[in-house]
Amino acid sequence: MNHQDPKDQALELTTDGAECWEPGKVEEHDAQQQIDSALRRANELHSAAKEQQEPRIGVYICRCGGNISDVVDVERVAETVRLIPGVTTAKVHTFVCSDPGQHTISDDILKENLDRVVVASCSPFLHEQTFRGAVSRGGLNSYLYEHVNIREQASWAHKHDPEGATLKAIRMIAAAVGKLHHVRPLDQIKLPNHRRALVIGGGIAGMKAASDLAMRGIKVLLVEATERLGGQLNNLNRVYPSERPASEIVRELEQKVLHNENIEIFFGARVRSVSGFIGNFKVALQVTSTNGDEAPHLAFTVGAIVIATGFRPYVPQEGEFLYRTSPAVLTMPEFIQLMRTAEPVGSQLVYKGQAVRKIAFLHCVGSRQLEGVHQPSPDGKLNTYCSRTCCSTILRQALEVRKRFPSVEVFDFHRDIRTYGRGEEDYYIEASKAGVIFFRYNGEEPPHIELTPAKLSAAGALSITVKDALTWGEELTVQTDLLVLGTGMIPGEIAELIEQMKLATGEDGFLQEVHPKLRPVELAVNGALLAGTAQGPMNIQETLAAAGAAAVKAAAMFAKEEVELNPFVAEVDQSRCSGEALCVAECDYEGALQIVQVEVDGRTVDRAQVNAGLCVGCGACVAVCPHRAIDVNGWRIDQFEAMVDGIAADIPGHACSAELVSVH
Amino acid sequence: MNTAIDSSYSPDVVVIGGGIAGLQSALDLADQGMSVLVVERNASIGGHMIELSKVFPTLDCASCITTPKMSAAAHHPNIQILTYTEVEAIESIEEHHVVRLLQKPTYVNFDKCIGCRLCEYACDTEYPDPFEQGLGSVRAIAVPFTNAIPQKAVLDAEHCGTCGTCARVCPTGAIEFDQQPRRLSIHTDAVILATGFQLNAVTIKPQYHASLSRDIISPLTLERLLAPHGPYGRVLRPSDGKIPSSVAFVQCAGSRDESIGVPYCSRVCCMYAIKQAMLLSGALPLADITIYYMDIRAFGKGYEQFYQNAKAMGINFVRGKVARIQPVDGSDLSVLVETTEDAENPMQEHRHDLVVLAQGMVPGWNPKGIVNADCAGDGFVATPQLTAPTATTAPGIFVAGAAAGPKDIVDSIAEAGAAAMQVSEYLYQKRSLTTVG
Repeated sequence: MNHQDPKDQALELTTDGAECWEPGKVEEHDAQQQIDSALRRANELHSAAKEQQEPRIGVYICRCGGNISDVVDVERVAETVRLIPGVTTAKVHTFVCSDPGQHTISDDILKENLDRVVVASCSPFLHEQTFRGAVSRGGLNSYLYEHVNIREQASWAHKHDPEGATLKAIRMIAAAVGKLHHVRPLDQIKLPNHRRALVIGGGIAGMKAASDLAMRGIKVLLVEATERLGGQLNNLNRVYPSERPASEIVRELEQKVLHNENIEIFFGARVRSVSGFIGNFKVALQVTSTNGDEAPHLAFTVGAIVIATGFRPYVPQEGEFLYRTSPAVLTMPEFIQLMRTAEPVGSQLVYKGQAVRKIAFLHCVGSRQLEGVHQPSPDGKLNTYCSRTCCSTILRQALEVRKRFPSVEVFDFHRDIRTYGRGEEDYYIEASKAGVIFFRYNGEEPPHIELTPAKLSAAGALSITVKDALTWGEELTVQTDLLVLGTGMIPGEIAELIEQMKLATGEDGFLQEVHPKLRPVELAVNGALLAGTAQGPMNIQETLAAAGAAAVKAAAMFAKEEVELNPFVAEVDQSRCSGEALCVAECDYEGALQIVQVEVDGRTVDRAQVNAGLCVGCGACVAVCPHRAIDVNGWRIDQFEAMVDGIAADIPGHACSAELVSVH
Repeated sequence: MNTAIDSSYSPDVVVIGGGIAGLQSALDLADQGMSVLVVERNASIGGHMIELSKVFPTLDCASCITTPKMSAAAHHPNIQILTYTEVEAIESIEEHHVVRLLQKPTYVNFDKCIGCRLCEYACDTEYPDPFEQGLGSVRAIAVPFTNAIPQKAVLDAEHCGTCGTCARVCPTGAIEFDQQPRRLSIHTDAVILATGFQLNAVTIKPQYHASLSRDIISPLTLERLLAPHGPYGRVLRPSDGKIPSSVAFVQCAGSRDESIGVPYCSRVCCMYAIKQAMLLSGALPLADITIYYMDIRAFGKGYEQFYQNAKAMGINFVRGKVARIQPVDGSDLSVLVETTEDAENPMQEHRHDLVVLAQGMVPGWNPKGIVNADCAGDGFVATPQLTAPTATTAPGIFVAGAAAGPKDIVDSIAEAGAAAMQVSEYLYQKRSLTTVG
């Protein structure tokens, strides 16, 4: 067969009978576009023909254990897509991502001389890289690969419609095959890697990440907004389960960062701007001196950014459990402060001049909030998450009260006791033994707090009424001098940083990792890493482990001379560009597109130029260019057109619906 | 048996255990340019995670997360893997370690085996499949499971009938009946213990009478029943193949209980029970599902919301400690529970036809006498340095994942990264390298 348009070839095949692949009949709206498109296609076919004869495409369909094959008839998908022009192999595998599955791909590339590969499986987010690797091990350029998500988009989305899901899977694969007729090998973009990390936040997570990297020989800039390292630990006394003073832990980490030749610390400093990309972030810091003067911005280039901005303690709303209504109601940080300054063992615990005889602790304040039960915060949000640390903190404090001030009675009001960590259950057991009295409430019925009329302002001022699950729902009332609210964790105030770096947050407001198991400390912004409670509530050990995990990702990144980026960025065809800069005006990413002067036939003219490191490949520029002089590699317009043709094609036995064509 | 490695190989780091923690540590070290040997006791890497159906709180299929990490480790130019290999001793001389290994005979030459499974198909002898928790069977010579790494057949000498069929059908002559155990001494500068956990016995609480009924099962058994590629491809009662109509989860059946020597919380049981309950309600829409619990410990990121979703789905949560489980009336199970919810009737008896016991996590490996690192009172490897949370009491020996106490996958992976960081730092300082890598 000669170098024909694949369309013609397919049309020719349709004459053989109904069981053939017929491309969709997609109308073109604009004559000029049609001509352009036809010319371009002719050019490409010409060059493709020079490189090779007919594409040989292998399609691998994953059962995903059963996640896909329980709904999608994968065998039928394979039989059907085998009929698509260009497809020489279509196979089904239980787990294509497994080692044997990947081997099948790389073996077939060699044995069957495949030159393009489609895997139809889960989200590309999970396994696109996995399969590019397999393709590359087979000796093919890893961009001669298309990933089709028939799990999230077919079997999971249409689990009650197996026939529909199967047809959709076929169409999606047909689109990918169509596209593969038009792809060309691409190379990763390689850019210099600045071996220096910026660590934002000088709490224990930031100090740990900084010291880990520095001890590994990597330069670190450590930025702390206040004048002091240690973060929230500076507000604690002894901590569970080590029972060490928090100050000692801070000091230990401070020793590692303060006089380290690889670490430069900026106190009173804020990140004012961040631009650039992995390996090449440009950051501007503003340092406020102790006398309040603002120095000019300091500019640095760093390769990775570790965000260790931590948490804030939840501050109850005015009147929430009588907070700020009665002085007898304290938050946990306020109570810890009281315990730090309280009289030593044996004497009384004195608060506002009065001896405290009874203390009540209330769990889950500002955490595990339920709709219709708890008052949303002013921004309308409920903190539905568990703050992870409050149960053990409360029990540790309760036990300390009982040990230091044995005459003080201690009451504990909880929903569930979550002493999950190593050594934490012991606090629960010990607190029970030490005479702490436990009450249990249902989340829907939190205890009711009232001021005792006789003593409005002094200690001994509160009554707590609870429907206690431990006594089969009996309504009990306890008088107390102090109520300590087990306040949880809320995200730090980093709106500015989130905006500058375009970071993602979860529903809980904390920074969102890419995937909790696959990429647990990475943010969607390449090169930005998460350390500690900026990601969500954690205790001290967990925070330190998370900081180590973030540091190791940075260390691995710095082990390479260059950073490698996906080549899916815009590219300008200088011969078509007129330098009108419509694309530059449309571009949302500062510095990604600019107009430069170039020499053409002895004349100096304006032309658009892409900065591959900053371009995200969004395609906004492509849409506005009147000359089709700019396109996104890996997602070129002709590739999209081929995908649409593939989707709109008739599946043997199932004519493409008219709606599908008219949508286009 | 993999004979490609001999005692002349001296990697920068030896990782003991090829579960999710060990693999993550190995990858994080190898990505920094360090050479790593992963030693795995079983015939495949993947650990417990590869046995699971789906994982909380995202309900990703476990294989989808584990297999790529297994594969990445297997293909990494800086990582070598020895499976079916036990650690006999780790001798530390100053800051240098000799890891003494015993490769168990697989009776299959790994250089020759191409993983075609012809031997497995031809083998006449079957025994209960350990990967499927004894449900279903496996041949005496077999590739361990579908997505195992390496894809090499292993002959189980205990069950082999020595008929020789496998040797006759093997196209590459890989079967070696005379294979002997092989000892190796690997010299290295650092070791990570990632030896994981095991569950305590399903029979550990005599009051629960697990020995009297095959329908009182371990959570790992339920994982296999729920896995789409599991032994039956659906959820059936092990005793009679009946579709269960009422399933009970009994929490803290092997933890938070001084009477069985496990006073601590196993940290993952609440969440996997909730997850399994959710998956069950999808698999068996007509079944009643009850979780008997003392406290629901849904503490991780997204966990509480997961718990609330389960409640909204109609899963029945009953607060109370189960006192006794007994088979009654032929096929039913009686669950006696003291609830805190009904004052009139605190002691209640409920009937179920499948009971899942939340067994506790205990150490997967006892390092005593093998390596110089101390264990804490709970039996897990001790980590005395708060600011170096993965350092053990022995210099150059580190720990990651459930080997240092019960941990879920998310926390194990974070800790594995931290251990890799600690090791790379340790080696960098020790060797006073001037450049990274």
